[in-house]
Amino acid sequence: MKEITAYKCKKCGRIHYPKHERCLTCKHREFEPIHPEGNVKLLTFTQIFNLPWGFDERFLYIGVVQFANGVKAMGQIDAPDGADLRLGMTLKAEWEPVRTVFDEPVYGLKLKPLG
Amino acid sequence: MAVDMELELMLRPPALPMAPYPSKVITLANGKKMVVREVQREDIPTLLKAVHPTIFIHKDFYDIVGSRLYSELVGMYTHRTANEFCLVGQIDGFLVGMVNSRMYSAKTGMSLHTLAIDRGLRVGAHLFAAKMEHHIEYLGQEEVLIVAESPIGFRRWMIEYGLEPTDIPHELGGALSFRLTRQLYFETKSRLVAGDRPVPQELLEVAQREIVIASEADIREKIAGLKGR
Amino acid sequence: MRDVAIIGVGMIPFGRRDEDTLVDMLAYASMKALDDAGVDAVDALYVANMGGGVIQRQTAIASALVDRLSLLPAAADLVENGPASGGSAVKNGVLAVASGYYDVVLVAGGEKMREVTGWRATDFVATLTHPETEYPYGITLPGMAGMFTRLYMEKYGVTREMLVQIAIKNQTMGALNPYAHVEMMITKEGVMDSPHSVVNNPPAATPLHLYDMCPVSDGAAAVILCPLNRVKELTKNLPVVVAGFGQATDTHTLAEREDPTDLKAVTLAAQQAFERAKMKPEEISVAELHDAFTILEIAESEHVGFFKKGEGGKAVLEGKTRLGGQLPINVSGGLKARGHPVGATGVAQIVELTWQLRHELPKERQVKGAKAGFSINFGGFGNNVVAFVLKRGEK
Repeated sequence: MKEITAYKCKKCGRIHYPKHERCLTCKHREFEPIHPEGNVKLLTFTQIFNLPWGFDERFLYIGVVQFANGVKAMGQIDAPDGADLRLGMTLKAEWEPVRTVFDEPVYGLKLKPLG
Repeated sequence: MAVDMELELMLRPPALPMAPYPSKVITLANGKKMVVREVQREDIPTLLKAVHPTIFIHKDFYDIVGSRLYSELVGMYTHRTANEFCLVGQIDGFLVGMVNSRMYSAKTGMSLHTLAIDRGLRVGAHLFAAKMEHHIEYLGQEEVLIVAESPIGFRRWMIEYGLEPTDIPHELGGALSFRLTRQLYFETKSRLVAGDRPVPQELLEVAQREIVIASEADIREKIAGLKGR
Repeated sequence: MRDVAIIGVGMIPFGRRDEDTLVDMLAYASMKALDDAGVDAVDALYVANMGGGVIQRQTAIASALVDRLSLLPAAADLVENGPASGGSAVKNGVLAVASGYYDVVLVAGGEKMREVTGWRATDFVATLTHPETEYPYGITLPGMAGMFTRLYMEKYGVTREMLVQIAIKNQTMGALNPYAHVEMMITKEGVMDSPHSVVNNPPAATPLHLYDMCPVSDGAAAVILCPLNRVKELTKNLPVVVAGFGQATDTHTLAEREDPTDLKAVTLAAQQAFERAKMKPEEISVAELHDAFTILEIAESEHVGFFKKGEGGKAVLEGKTRLGGQLPINVSGGLKARGHPVGATGVAQIVELTWQLRHELPKERQVKGAKAGFSINFGGFGNNVVAFVLKRGEK
């Protein structure tokens, strides 16, 4: 997924997303840019009902996921009300519109249950 | 002045048959029991006392809701509105909120107003749900047309029920109506409609004995005071 | 470094204050604090506010307040540190007095959030999240709390009933506090057991429900600080001593925390505060924790050392954190019932603890013989946390 650039510390290997000037673990300043690939593991999630200005939906599922190469990121989960989401389950990751601002789509991580 | 019944009958709108709303009781967040029941024409002068102070609350659209509700209730009392009904919520006899609505046709309901006097207990949400329950389940209608005059109403009704937008102008000022269909109602019923029937006799008797109205100052404080939510 | 005392406090009732501007509220609370202390001049003001620039489109609020109070030419700074703005401002005031540069300092915190709809207020608070990797998704602070709760429940066995009991306890106490926004008591039947609770207490950010959330409030609170050795000449009040404070930070984004159930900044801030105070958690008589969401009262009570991990929720069920229990927590009603005008909260916690430590509250709210108080003001979702240990001083 080229749209997300994460940063792997060249000294200790810790993966950062978003960018930091110094490694959160070892303070090193050099990073290798990496892109996450493939399916993701769901680390936690919530179904939010009282959405902020800018969203007219009744609810949104939002989760934090981990890619196989270690990149962790927040994203919207595309699932119906009452969906059977479980911690640790595998989801498919896409880069799709997540909200609209001034009639223009804003893209982000969209996560979809498999199958 | 005596009513000239001959003229009067010409002025009154035609009436559709309307099934009664069976009373129910809801346990609120504070544990209090709210009886929800349909009121009759003769109860309206009492209800007007509670609506009156809200006309002058220029906050959260209580003024427009209060003034329109007041005139609709007068319309019901003077037989100038067709097929109108009014449901009230009472706790220990005290009026905590009311909703009114009418049958536009045998098939279509026209939702009018929801007024919560006690706030922060989801009284408005429960009473609005009862109104939809009456239209669909007891009056047997296919759809209800709804508009919101306040952002709170918009959020609660349009978003929570997932109502369908239409291009049908609503009786309340001509704004475009949103529609609750019979199918949508039954899809959302389990999370939005609560209540037990029958109402235990002693609770019902307290509610029917008197609709107790708080003082105008109390009503203003409940709605617009510092702790108003 | 000098010891610092709180010699005056003031607060206005929290709620929905449509008639007051943000600066009105800050001014009313400040005047109460000045009058309580009996001082009429200060060397410096620290003003806590998060949203003036966003919600009211008013900036430089400290300059506006110092003028409004006729405290010119005192130094005046605005402290914006998200929902921990209040705690940060008090800490800055304490440092200023401790350093010896200023003697009398006013700290005021205020927020006016009810001017806008709930949607706008939710969006305003969400602006503290990461602008690229969090905010665009529609994440809210309740949403962050929901994701945290799901993991905390799984790891430590926190149950829905524990959360509900916190809401009941804090709303019961709030009903006794004239400064609290929410004066309504709730019952377990109404918010959890009855089938009607589906409508009364719907899910808000799963697994959290409506009654797990604090309300959106307007309000302000203020305190007056001075060096402990000048208390006698400045005030007739019993001083409350700032025995210790701590502040620590954590990753901006939730996803980057190695263990998202570990609120490291809470632990560190509390440790610093206890170390500076040379005290232990067992010595605290009353605590004000940042229960913006019920789960936080449990998690914070464990992270600061009042209870072992996994024991905080049980302590709630056993009544240990009620008034009269082993360690009363949020006797004020907490954020849950007192309300959470974000910039005011950290200052309001100090005001409440000062009242408690001076033994000034009515019997139904007073922790008997309270000697030491503790507070946690939790900014972001735990990425900037301020803690205080306060002690009852001597006449």
